[in-house]
Amino acid sequence: MLSLMDVFNRAVEGPLMSDQDYYLKRYVPALTRVIQKYKIKYDPAAPLPSDDALADVLFDAAVDFFAEVGAYCPDTSRVMEFTKEEILQAASEAPSESVFGEGTDRGVMRSRKPDEHTKPWYHCGGGIYTTSEAVFMNQVEGLASIRKANSLSIPTSINIRGQDARVRSPHEVLATIKTVTMARDACGRAGRPGLPILNGISTATGPISMFAASHPNFGLRPSDGFLIDSLAELVVDFEALDKVAFFTSIGANIGSTSTPLYGGYNGGAEGNAVATVVYNLLGILVFRGTYHYNAPLHTKLRVSSTRPLLWVIAVANQALHRNAPYPTVNLPYLGGGAGTDCYYYEMAAYHTCVVTSGGNMLSGHPSIAVAPDSIVPLDHVLNVEVAEAAAALTRKEANPMVLKCLEKYENLLKDPPRGLTYQECYDMTTGKLTNTEYAKNVDRIRDEFRNMGLPVEKSV
Amino acid sequence: MTEKEVVSRLEQAIVNFDEELATKMAEEVINSNLDPLNAVDNGLVKGLDIIGERYENDEIFLPELMMAANTFQAAMQILEPLIIEKGQSRTVKGVVVIGTVKGDIHKIGKDILILLMRNAGYEVHDLGEDVDLFTFIETAKKVNAEAIGLSALLTSTLSGQRDVIDALKQSGMRDTYIIMVGGGAVTPEWAESIGADLYGENAQTAVRKLGETMTSKKG
Repeated sequence: MLSLMDVFNRAVEGPLMSDQDYYLKRYVPALTRVIQKYKIKYDPAAPLPSDDALADVLFDAAVDFFAEVGAYCPDTSRVMEFTKEEILQAASEAPSESVFGEGTDRGVMRSRKPDEHTKPWYHCGGGIYTTSEAVFMNQVEGLASIRKANSLSIPTSINIRGQDARVRSPHEVLATIKTVTMARDACGRAGRPGLPILNGISTATGPISMFAASHPNFGLRPSDGFLIDSLAELVVDFEALDKVAFFTSIGANIGSTSTPLYGGYNGGAEGNAVATVVYNLLGILVFRGTYHYNAPLHTKLRVSSTRPLLWVIAVANQALHRNAPYPTVNLPYLGGGAGTDCYYYEMAAYHTCVVTSGGNMLSGHPSIAVAPDSIVPLDHVLNVEVAEAAAALTRKEANPMVLKCLEKYENLLKDPPRGLTYQECYDMTTGKLTNTEYAKNVDRIRDEFRNMGLPVEKSV
Repeated sequence: MTEKEVVSRLEQAIVNFDEELATKMAEEVINSNLDPLNAVDNGLVKGLDIIGERYENDEIFLPELMMAANTFQAAMQILEPLIIEKGQSRTVKGVVVIGTVKGDIHKIGKDILILLMRNAGYEVHDLGEDVDLFTFIETAKKVNAEAIGLSALLTSTLSGQRDVIDALKQSGMRDTYIIMVGGGAVTPEWAESIGADLYGENAQTAVRKLGETMTSKKG
């Protein structure tokens, strides 16, 4: 693979270009061209496609597109260009499995093949903000207590001693450190001190807080996972490259992340499918990732669960896992609030598309991840059960189930129902589930999924 | 070519992102001594309305919005001097200053809103990303803005929206401007807690609410 210094040098030696020119003269025309050339076509009747030829063609289109447009570095106003050979070489050297965690919680996340019936990796939780340290601790302990959880995504803490943890402020550094130490303590309380945290580091928005909280004194380890974002679309800034320089130097797991925007420069489903694959390739080549967070998002609804985006996440995972095995988790931003049927149907449709297409599970984020305290652990148990059930199906078997779920929630996405908070479901002192109506509804929905063709088994 | 035909073709030029046709028809307006304001309002702007509807229905996306805006600009470069020469003026719905707040470098959501506002007839001053709070205020004063738009994607940058409102209060200018907030991290509760005038959960809603707020403010 191209050396890391060569990658960094592309950001300072590539052709100069304004971002407007990059998008209008390079990105958009090239994307239109590859979609036409490779005849990539979204089919609303098959949100979960099972056409391997389409998946392979999408991969070829993504490689061509990436080789034509490169990535944009706003700090230098230069395009980081890569040849097709360099991209393909990176793809061929992609890590097909990555090791996370310590002791008995150590595990291997793999790139799975479409229609493969092995269990996916269960990555539970979400970086949603919490209103108090007590809620934070309870949520993390509750998530870590899910025995099948392989790793955690921990919530965010946005203040410290009553002060906002503003971006780049010392408060952010301290809040980030607090987040990490509390999470590790909460995992210990659940009897899982080695459980890996893969959204390193929630609360940190920039490299300073991230590097500070990565200090071993605070409990994170290279066997956790540290996220590096590219901005939409294909923007790689120095902050991201700084993180690459640091986390590769300490031998840590790196999670490349991406949020291609439906309705943005990628246009609709086809463009977003191409972009989603490209971001994974960029994650391998530029960020030296050991896993990837896919999170294509609708710009207006701010969810991942629309029909076209289900197609995007399914076909992009298929393209990737058939051609460049790189472990992915897939982040569903869902409209429905925690504990709502809308949330459950969205989550089931999304996980079914992902898991049958070779991806791994990341819990559904309720209320588009903006409702505070909305991580409710029993919901995440159900996420695991649904993903486990989906692994028993093939894509062809699962598509009708996805269509049934869509029927239930598609028309709710413009104004999705609000949901519950942790405090409304659990006792804050004991951490016990106290909302029996909520628990009964989870049982009911589990039964309903079974009747819809998803063989969900109750695990608690 | 009749005036009606020229106006209709200007509309088509916008809908088809055809800069060449837009330029040709704008020149036709001049050469045939037609009413430039009629050409803009009933041709170009009508085309932009159709574009707005198509965007709303997910039939077109950001690249097409940009192409339509470029087509509009190509025609306006020719028509604007003529409008001024004739002593006419286009109705501007309002003047807006907008940017992503300090510490936040996200831009696509803001850029979509800017295009929709311009297409809807607003004069928009884009301050870019990671914008210092006094830049919002100084620019708003300089261009006689009626509204200030504050975008924030990250939870940790939300306080940048509150800072601008606090600074306006401190200088006794809070009521001078309509404050609109939006971005991935913003919720209606947050908008209310900082005293923003309107919250746009997406770009189209923001444009609609801005129109309503401006109308009610102007009485």
